[in-house]
Amino acid sequence: MDWLLFGIFAFLMFSGVPLAVAMGLAGTVVVAASGLGMMSLPTNVYTGIAKYPLMAIPVFVIAGLIFERAGVAATIVRFASAVVGQRRGSLAIVAILVAMILGGISGSGPADSAAVGAVMLPSMLKAGYPRQFTAAVIAAAGSTDILIPPSIAFVIYSLLVPQASVPALFAAGMIPGILSGMTLILVAWWLSMRHGFEANPAEARPPFWQSLKDAGWGLAAPVIILGGMRSGFFTPTEAAVVAVFYGFLVGKVVYRTLGWKDIYEVLVESAEISSVILTVVALASVFAWASSTLGTFDHLAKAMLGAGMPELVMLLSIQALLLIAGMFLDAISIYFIFLPLLVPIAMHYNWDLVWFGVVMTMNMALGQFHPPLGVNLMVTCRMAGVSMESTIPWVLWMVVAMAGTMLLVTFVPDLALWLPRVLGYL
Amino acid sequence: MDSNNKKQGCQRGLSLSSVERVLMATSMGALCTLTMINVLVRYFTDFSFAFTEEISVVLMVIMTLVGASHAFATRHHIAIVFFVERFPAFRRTAARLAAVSSLAIFGLLAVYGVFMTWDDYDFEVTSPSLGVPQWWYSIWLPVLSTLIVLRLIGVLRKGEA
Repeated sequence: MDWLLFGIFAFLMFSGVPLAVAMGLAGTVVVAASGLGMMSLPTNVYTGIAKYPLMAIPVFVIAGLIFERAGVAATIVRFASAVVGQRRGSLAIVAILVAMILGGISGSGPADSAAVGAVMLPSMLKAGYPRQFTAAVIAAAGSTDILIPPSIAFVIYSLLVPQASVPALFAAGMIPGILSGMTLILVAWWLSMRHGFEANPAEARPPFWQSLKDAGWGLAAPVIILGGMRSGFFTPTEAAVVAVFYGFLVGKVVYRTLGWKDIYEVLVESAEISSVILTVVALASVFAWASSTLGTFDHLAKAMLGAGMPELVMLLSIQALLLIAGMFLDAISIYFIFLPLLVPIAMHYNWDLVWFGVVMTMNMALGQFHPPLGVNLMVTCRMAGVSMESTIPWVLWMVVAMAGTMLLVTFVPDLALWLPRVLGYL
Repeated sequence: MDSNNKKQGCQRGLSLSSVERVLMATSMGALCTLTMINVLVRYFTDFSFAFTEEISVVLMVIMTLVGASHAFATRHHIAIVFFVERFPAFRRTAARLAAVSSLAIFGLLAVYGVFMTWDDYDFEVTSPSLGVPQWWYSIWLPVLSTLIVLRLIGVLRKGEA
């Protein structure tokens, strides 16, 4: 029965059937074949999505989109250029900083890459950066988004691993996220120095205080979200919804960039993005129920643990497995497929599940801009009009650097766990 | 960005598509507003408005299923197309397999969803916090699964798949 479940799932998934459907159908076939009762099908789907914690997903999606539409990105770009000043590679550094700040508002990588790409791509090309380099930098920068809180990936992880709370994961992602961003800045700066990008500064440095004042409205959003959660006043969902209405006011009253039509578009688009995620959640619950009733993942985890691998080898092979999976799948699907298998293994070795979530998410971040299938890189390559293969000479440096940061967090768990411990979430 | 492919994509489904979009926007707007009211009420009064969570959750269920239907028409569901795109000869078969598999799962959900709703009605199950009949909530699963089934039949018949 275990093999039937995986066989059908793998066959459907690799033939391009929507992932949600592949999981749901594989689960259903096994439920029917082993006589577990077909009524579990609608019950699991309904209770799978009718959960209050899942509300965080649509609300974080719409928070990111509304700030993007309000035109906050452009003011943050000016502020970041004022901070960075004029030097070799300054625009590349600005792009990464902006992606990190926007990551504090939205929670998904491809959306962030698209927002940063729209603002930074034209000016970077004008300043003489090669298109391939530009696409690579923005894609890599966007990947820090799922590490820097708020992050939809962490919300899903917490749903599947209740021992790791959302605030603890958000706090744990902060330092690794900033560290990844800093690593990328170093790589972008080094590459720009080596190749002499931006020898003649294109635009004058914006005045610091004025740009801070303009960007202040946008910069306040992460403060509201994270501060509201930290004070214990808001749940993550409520913090995000406050940010949505704040963004609505900023766009409507302060910047006057949001028309009612834009708001309608934001509502539709965020509903579609969220429902694609929630469809996976709904149908994956059939798969999860079938496999846990049959004990599939317990058998598999036992078999893997029975092989008697040393702890370190196990950890590194899990990372390699996730890295490969990350090239083909998005973070949320990977959590649903792999967590039921990985959590028993992590518990066996007494790994901290918050730290494990951060390491796993760093893997996903890496997969988002790793050719041939990184979703962020797909977005930015389409915007820059280059093929993904052509970015390899640039993007590989960033992949290597980010993998280095990931190994650092793997071997120094305190990088992730210090902040949540200080804040009292652990 | 996707309004373009919608215009060419579903001439016949245009009205259904716009109904779906209105429903998606309304449920999204309503669930944000409810959650916001919840925060405000708790801040300014001692009154608990938390029972609205039940309504927010059902709005999310409705939004998910309507959005899923819309995403089947616009092909926005997450799928691994890497291998299929490497073999153009199978592309058509694969697209058809995708539509038929989706049809199968949502068809089953529509049928068994009716039984689930009937059970809720028959046993007079009431919801945990508002105490209203549970079938008011559970009926959306079979109803909207049927919408998805019709959507997928449309996709198959148009020969897009």
